[in-house]
Amino acid sequence: MIDLLFSAVLLAGLYAMMAYGLGIIYGVLRIVNLGHGGMIMVGAYAAFWMHEQFGLDPYLAIVPIAIASFFLGVGMYKLLVKRLPRGAAGGVQSLLLLFAVWLILRNTAYLLFTGNDQTLRTSYSTNSFHVATAYVSWNRLAVFGVAIVVLVGLHLLLTRTYLGKAIRAVAQNPSSCTLVGIPVERVYSVTFGLGTGLAAAAGVLGATLFSFNPGYGSSELLKSFVVVVLGGLGSVPGTALAALILAFVEVFSIKIMPSYLTAAVGFVLLVLVLVLRPGGLFGQRVLG
Amino acid sequence: MKNRTTLLMACALVSVSCNKSSAPKEGQGAAPSGSAASSQGASGDTISIGATLPMTGGESRVGGFYKEGYDLAFEEANAAGGLNVGGKKLKVELKLLDDTSTQATAVSLADRLVSSEKVQFLLGTYSSHLVEAQSVVAEQNHIPYVNGGGGAKEIYSKGYKWLFGLLAPVQLLSSALMEWIGSQQTAGHLPKQVKIAVLWENTAHGKDFREGVDDYVKKHQGCCEVVVDESFELQGKDFGALLNKVKASNVDVMLADAHLSDYITMQRQYVTLGLCHKVLSYGARGSEKQAADALGKEHIAYVLSSVWWNAQLGTAGMTKHFVDLFKEKHGGKVPEWYQAVSYETARALFQAIEKAGSTDREAVRNALASLDVESILPGGKLSFPAASGQQAIYPFVVQQNQPDGSSPIVWPKESASNPGVAPNPACK
Repeated sequence: MIDLLFSAVLLAGLYAMMAYGLGIIYGVLRIVNLGHGGMIMVGAYAAFWMHEQFGLDPYLAIVPIAIASFFLGVGMYKLLVKRLPRGAAGGVQSLLLLFAVWLILRNTAYLLFTGNDQTLRTSYSTNSFHVATAYVSWNRLAVFGVAIVVLVGLHLLLTRTYLGKAIRAVAQNPSSCTLVGIPVERVYSVTFGLGTGLAAAAGVLGATLFSFNPGYGSSELLKSFVVVVLGGLGSVPGTALAALILAFVEVFSIKIMPSYLTAAVGFVLLVLVLVLRPGGLFGQRVLG
Repeated sequence: MKNRTTLLMACALVSVSCNKSSAPKEGQGAAPSGSAASSQGASGDTISIGATLPMTGGESRVGGFYKEGYDLAFEEANAAGGLNVGGKKLKVELKLLDDTSTQATAVSLADRLVSSEKVQFLLGTYSSHLVEAQSVVAEQNHIPYVNGGGGAKEIYSKGYKWLFGLLAPVQLLSSALMEWIGSQQTAGHLPKQVKIAVLWENTAHGKDFREGVDDYVKKHQGCCEVVVDESFELQGKDFGALLNKVKASNVDVMLADAHLSDYITMQRQYVTLGLCHKVLSYGARGSEKQAADALGKEHIAYVLSSVWWNAQLGTAGMTKHFVDLFKEKHGGKVPEWYQAVSYETARALFQAIEKAGSTDREAVRNALASLDVESILPGGKLSFPAASGQQAIYPFVVQQNQPDGSSPIVWPKESASNPGVAPNPACK
């Protein structure tokens, strides 16, 4: 039981990391970023490439990769997303546009790295330590630690800084923000960059745990959807809590159902929440 | 409501993407050197043979291995002047497409090869679930389909006339593992009754694997007890919960049936969770260089694998010829069972065409059905018995990874160069 407990908590860290970026972009821009899966894959390959070329540890690579992806996100916003119609009218267009971005990223990865599965192997990849009867992976613990740091950092950014307050204000009412002099477009581009950077960071963490190929990011995006919807669109702490719930449900469901069905449990949860509590388990909030 | 609609649309798009939406690609360098450049079906002196392989997607690495085997067979045939068909030498040309490891693409490309590219025969793709889907196209179009990638018995139980398979049934794979375990019990190295965890991928391949273990357990009453019997999703990401269940069950033996990527992911989590069993196997996976690179050879030591072929069988005759030829082409690289089976798959079709003395599909099908030739496969013979649905039957070889990185054959006794080690000395 204690093994499953650790397994669930540590898995929640990865799920939360994967979902932050998707949640924050939806919370502010009201866009479902289908390019999120692609950026997770890009993060994984970037970490792999830096490790292979320069021997850079993936945990040290998180910061440069996240920063580079932030600027890539800002560029994507200015070049593509900005041109979409705002509001419900832009919903379908944004899905198609960002889906196309994802396909381009994926096929670029095929060209650069082939379709072979890649594995990022470090000296500590398989190291673990003993707690009671459980073995805890250092790697998974580090992923969990990064997820907590990012959660706290995001919370502080959104609640304690001018930029964070501007992001929340824009999420609440962009028209009024324009009236009081908040640069809405800049906030949008920074938020898109932030979400993209977080997705790439999640990809780096995922690469330390799993094999990946250019198709990597698909199932991660689906999990991120589930987490974001469960947590309530736009709620960062809700996202973290939802990640914990999803991980617990998935891990403990093996006690009562075949292993191959556990992945579907999350989607059953998604449907239930959409039908019964469309605002998410913790209600729809304006970030923070 | 708008939010929900948008989310549902997004989920639909993502689901499409999960099915690997990338466009099918022509296999890189698909036409082997020495083959004719024609791309429109058969020309007068060329036989056009179509195939798809998973060159991208989850099975891409193995797809690459299969391509190496196909290429070698085609090059060899063309270097000899082509196939001798009714006294006339005809070159062979391979039209190879990338099925992206997905069933839908494998089916549509097979259809395209037959209807648009006008290929005369089909060679199979890799992995049971793709072969199963693709074999329907061959049956509908009455075109001989020879595959070396589908080992699941279910594929051959449908009474298909045009389907021929070189991979021996997966039940034999797991029963070979069980026979080695039985030999270790007899030798006193393992308990008289071993507790076993069987983990199988949720595919026809996995079900056959499990059936092989079950059959052995039923036949050898009291030898073993299956304590954990769990299936898992192909190309899974997180096996933590499943492995925790195995850990809690305190079994002696863990037998998993996994594809290469799942083997690597699962074994990494296995090591991290501090698991160690007296005997550990991932079915046909275990000795791959990629696994050693990804995990470190110390973390795959003593893993047992049961395979359709092993280069150590190549000490003489045509098996040695294949090993030497492959090494010469690939700078000394030793072939694995993937390349051997795909090479032999192409060769089986070539031999049937020569035996038929024509490129008539019906004649070649009949030649395949009655084929009984020398082979590089274990047992040294290849035929497609009607009783097994035209699936070849031959013994598996069991190999075990050693700490020095080698993987000697440990079973059957007559082929073994090493008795194998049990229980795993690394377990404390």
